[in-house]
Amino acid sequence: MRRRRLTSLSLVSAVAVLLLIGCDGKPGAAVTSIKVVIADYSKDHTRPFWQRLSETYTKQTGIKIDLQVVDWNSIDQQITTMIQNNQPPDVLNLNSFSSYAKDGLLHSADQVMSVKTRDDFLATFTRGGEYQGTLYGFPILSSARAFFYNKDLLARAGVGAPPKTWDEFVKAAQRVQALGKGTIGYALPLGPEEAQAEWSIWMWNNGGDWKSGDQWTINSDKNLQTLQFLSDLANKHRVTQVNPGRTNRTDGAFQLFKDGKVGMVMGFSPLAKQLDTEGKVNYGVAEMPTNAGTAVTLAVEDYLMAFKKPGNQDAVTKFLELYYQPETITRWISAEGFLPVTKSGLDRMRADPTLKPYLDALPNAKLVPTTDPAWDKVKLEVQQNIGLAVQPGGSPKQVLDQLQRNATTAAGGR
Amino acid sequence: MWLGPSLALIGAVVAYPAALLIRASLSQYSVTGLYQGSVGLRNYARLLRQEALTTVVANTLVWVTVIVMVTLMLSLGLAQFLDKSFPGRRLVRWALIVPWAASLIMTSKLFVWIYDYYFGILNPMLQSLGVLHHPVDWLGDDSTVMGAMITVGIFVSLPFTTYVLLAGLQAIPADVFEAARVDGASAWRTYRSVTFPLLRPALLVAAVLNIIYVFNSFPIVWTLNDRNPGFGHDTMITYMYKIAFKSSLRDVGLAAALGVVNVLLILLAVLVYLRSVRWRAQEA
Repeated sequence: MRRRRLTSLSLVSAVAVLLLIGCDGKPGAAVTSIKVVIADYSKDHTRPFWQRLSETYTKQTGIKIDLQVVDWNSIDQQITTMIQNNQPPDVLNLNSFSSYAKDGLLHSADQVMSVKTRDDFLATFTRGGEYQGTLYGFPILSSARAFFYNKDLLARAGVGAPPKTWDEFVKAAQRVQALGKGTIGYALPLGPEEAQAEWSIWMWNNGGDWKSGDQWTINSDKNLQTLQFLSDLANKHRVTQVNPGRTNRTDGAFQLFKDGKVGMVMGFSPLAKQLDTEGKVNYGVAEMPTNAGTAVTLAVEDYLMAFKKPGNQDAVTKFLELYYQPETITRWISAEGFLPVTKSGLDRMRADPTLKPYLDALPNAKLVPTTDPAWDKVKLEVQQNIGLAVQPGGSPKQVLDQLQRNATTAAGGR
Repeated sequence: MWLGPSLALIGAVVAYPAALLIRASLSQYSVTGLYQGSVGLRNYARLLRQEALTTVVANTLVWVTVIVMVTLMLSLGLAQFLDKSFPGRRLVRWALIVPWAASLIMTSKLFVWIYDYYFGILNPMLQSLGVLHHPVDWLGDDSTVMGAMITVGIFVSLPFTTYVLLAGLQAIPADVFEAARVDGASAWRTYRSVTFPLLRPALLVAAVLNIIYVFNSFPIVWTLNDRNPGFGHDTMITYMYKIAFKSSLRDVGLAAALGVVNVLLILLAVLVYLRSVRWRAQEA
């Protein structure tokens, strides 16, 4: 049966090829449908938006879209399986791209995008999508972290303004923690879900970094000092929730903050949206406390990428151009509560006062090194291990040395 | 000729995927899942060198043995209880099905919130009963995670096991009990010499199916352990998933090798179990 289907399939495609060659003599048949895989950002908005976009696209071009909206928890698995079975999507939305570029699976920007569209991207995000100087990961949306504080708790603890330095931060956390009754100074999520994000922010605000030039610098002295500081928050000052190395972001730290138990946490715009909806916590948003003079925050860029498949270049180009219409991309990003990636989008979204703290932070925000294919492994290694360093008896030095070794190995080969 | 359709079915759902799994275990893939050629048995050799392997195997052993044994013991009692007629029996029988009918992920999520240090109901309950003086981080404390997961494992395995044993009990003809009564056997003696031996086939089925089912169980460990870094509380099934997608190994070939090992191991475990049971039956 399998064979029969294959035969008829090849027969159909053979006929199609013949017809097309007969038409205009160009090699390779143009596709009549493309597969688009999108990550599920929210139940309410993601599918409806892309469904509507697909319908518009099909109406305009006559090309069908096989749309798959995939849960974040299983998207890596599903994409790996698709590629393993030699059935990659045509367009994919993910939080990494460089490994795919390295494997030679992707169209570069100049193959599937007009110059006008490319020039509209904010410079930070264009850089964040380049593999060896060529743009392969097209920004689909962004987010930026900000420092959230519970105004009522800080006031009750006698902390006048949100802390600007690490010293002020420790004092503020101690005072909130001293309120007792299960109140927590700072919710520190270093569990596997998103530990690399929390770690990046602390690392950068102490002047450290993931890499220096081409070299990984995960176990630098600065970074060791930072991780020791986080470990002290948990074990010496005792101003965090129980077991911060085993607390995830969404159902751990954010949940505690939403419940009004926590003085301070690193949040982002979707958390603000939830807090506003629930109306339970009187919160403020500020810059990150820093130990290095200027506050640095983390921006996260998610990507769209176009896979090289015979005859799909034109269809994919049209799809991307449709998404990057300023009106269309802004409609989606606003609905999901994220931040713009294009100059035109930034202009349009400035009108929203609740986004001001994030938009102000965006130009100075840093990205994690997604442009390095080794990052895909380093990120997972950090997620699985950094929490161990802040457990009682954990060794920050040992953990960082191990991370550094593995990052160097990942960079060296595969 | 009549075997044709069923053979085709077995071929499609068992043999073909198994062949794919074995082929994958002999191949190398990049992080993205791109095939990069055959590497022979190298994935198996690498698997044996993984530092976490010993811990994971030990976890799996504890996980399967404790759940299956405790479940069988509790189910024997429950089945006996449900076999008696009492008012409301139908209701209790239905109630027992609920944890079985609920999705494993839902049940696991529910237990995450029961165990939770800050929001859970278990700590306040135990504290008000005076069992605990300080709250315990059930899912974050290395000494309690496995126990917490095993409890959930037992909870969801009970319904099926109880029903298999209940069916076994009801298949025992009434006249053997009558004969035992005529002979003047005590209740305990009747149970030991009549009920239990006649229940053995049902017990065997329940044990074998549970071993396979518990070994392959993914959602409980995955959900209750998702906050813990590293591989300290993983079983071979969740470890396989982490190798493929969630650890820095990110290696489908290596995970496939572990998948093959898992299948062989479970076959071996069941075989050993069946042999030992038959051996004991002959001796008796």
